[in-house]
Amino acid sequence: MNATLAAILAILGLTLVKATPLIYAALGGVLSERSGVVNIGLEGILVAGAFTSVVVSGATGSPVLGALAGIIAGMLLAAILAFAATRLGVDQIVAGTGLNIAALAAAAFGLVLVYHQPGASHEVPALGIAGERTLIVLAFIAAVALQLVLARTPWGLRVRACGEDPSAAEAAGIDAPRTRFWAVVIGGAIASLGGVYLSLAELDLYSDGMTAGRGFIALAAVIFGRWTPLGATGAALFFGFFAALQYSLQRAGVPSELMQALPYLAALVALAGFAGRVRAPAADGVPYIRP
Amino acid sequence: MNALLRRPFFRDIVVVLVVVFGVGSIAMLLAHVSPLDGFGALFDGAFGTRSELAETLVQTTCLLFPALGIAIAFRAGLFNIGAEGQLILGGFAAGWLGAQFPLPGYLAIPMVLVAGVLAGGAWGAIPGFLRGRFGANEVIATLMLNVVAVLLATYLVNGPLQQGGAGASETGTLPKAAQLPDLIADSRLTWAFVLALVVAFVLRWVLQRTVFGYELRAAGDAPEAAKRAGIDLSRTAFVAMALSGALAGLGGATIVAGVLHRFNTGLSPGYGFIAIAVALVGNLDPLWIIIASFAFGVLQSGGVAMQAEAGVPRDVVSLVTGLVIIALAGRRVVAKLRST
Repeated sequence: MNATLAAILAILGLTLVKATPLIYAALGGVLSERSGVVNIGLEGILVAGAFTSVVVSGATGSPVLGALAGIIAGMLLAAILAFAATRLGVDQIVAGTGLNIAALAAAAFGLVLVYHQPGASHEVPALGIAGERTLIVLAFIAAVALQLVLARTPWGLRVRACGEDPSAAEAAGIDAPRTRFWAVVIGGAIASLGGVYLSLAELDLYSDGMTAGRGFIALAAVIFGRWTPLGATGAALFFGFFAALQYSLQRAGVPSELMQALPYLAALVALAGFAGRVRAPAADGVPYIRP
Repeated sequence: MNALLRRPFFRDIVVVLVVVFGVGSIAMLLAHVSPLDGFGALFDGAFGTRSELAETLVQTTCLLFPALGIAIAFRAGLFNIGAEGQLILGGFAAGWLGAQFPLPGYLAIPMVLVAGVLAGGAWGAIPGFLRGRFGANEVIATLMLNVVAVLLATYLVNGPLQQGGAGASETGTLPKAAQLPDLIADSRLTWAFVLALVVAFVLRWVLQRTVFGYELRAAGDAPEAAKRAGIDLSRTAFVAMALSGALAGLGGATIVAGVLHRFNTGLSPGYGFIAIAVALVGNLDPLWIIIASFAFGVLQSGGVAMQAEAGVPRDVVSLVTGLVIIALAGRRVVAKLRST
């Protein structure tokens, strides 16, 4: 194998590593938004998944239990947003912003409580290389599965109906608040796997700020991917590719800040409609409580 | 009391107090600290001495500017999550120009402050323009521009606009003439505090007593009716966002010119986000926002003492701030934002 090929393979491998947490978070975001709830709290859900899985893995010695606990934590956090959005009719974006701030702070506080030190946890039993590969493959399976679920199943149709016009969905006999609630909570479960991947597969600890805005990049991927699971996955891979290239390009004189800004700039371009028509689900972010 | 509680604003204040003291107490108990000791250390750290009170007012000032900016956007029916980025770029413009061009005193301070206003305003105007021209969602746009702002400032300050003698990720030191004069000697409290109060009162007057303020509120309260009445919604969105960013940028400039005397990429511990809570608690009314800024200023400056004296991690303050935002996300002023 010659050196160029090896370099290309290394970049592609790193692309998968960088893209996987983004894919999970973006899929969670897609499911939530297709039901009509904007989930700004993805970053917080990543934090919840990453932190909780490390604590439980450390306490039980089982990284698998840790991963499950991480998923449950993500679901609980999503449930807070889902409840507030579907039962109280709050502004989802304001609530999601608060959720991010609270989750980051709670994890930082938790580090001091559990490990008696700020900044980072101890090293805990991790999922290892086999676990990491499983999570990478699972991300793509989840993307295809979610695409099929949204496009081909009755539940997927109900979710999309609630995202386009919840009143009409209700008129057709769909329980819109309930459908939205579960879409957000299941979305939280999927997104939290991105956090589990970061702390228990890529590493074996939690440290403050380790999610590094991936929840926001995932939001960009949702928009860039036109609110479809496969589109968002493609966008996540695209962003992951540039994250993987960052070190090589930095050596070639391209400022790393420019590379890091790329996902956000891409999302802005997509939002402004320069990259073809972008249409969010019609009732995305619009509170709906039963009259 | 009952009639008072029925008024939504006062109900919100009760909710906020319950969140702050309830969650705060639980967190302190988890850290094996008596809430009395924890809050005691916090309030003592915020008010105990003259210099501690001055530091509380410094934090109040840092929060007041971006909170007023966020309130303007909210009143126009827009959500500006981007205050943090606008504040950072305002601070960068102020710090770089101030250190680069040493002007005489009567010009130096205005230049530094105007630089902050223009840079923050420009950064706020981008999502305003995208919204007005292309209908792009300003929430996502400001969220994205936050990160881009930090990256841009980091790139500029370490790259093409690096200044001789400056450390990593910071500009050179502002000459004495460009530094805001102290309000209380031997503290970090400067005339920025007075400026923030003046801005709040002016803003209140603009919102309540001018045609522009009326149009802005109409666009936020009843966009359809406003449109029929001939108010240009695109223009209102643009101006509101630019003004919102300008105030956050002015805040960044006062941190640079008053507190740090140079720009540093880490100059804000999240003032632009905490200010969302401040604006909501202040009922989006500039005068109430002064009081809300003071309340959160107490938490910010007292949190340091709480950690040092009582051993409660400062993160509790952020936790409580996040929960206050969630608790107030259902406010009627907020809920009607995107219902049209």
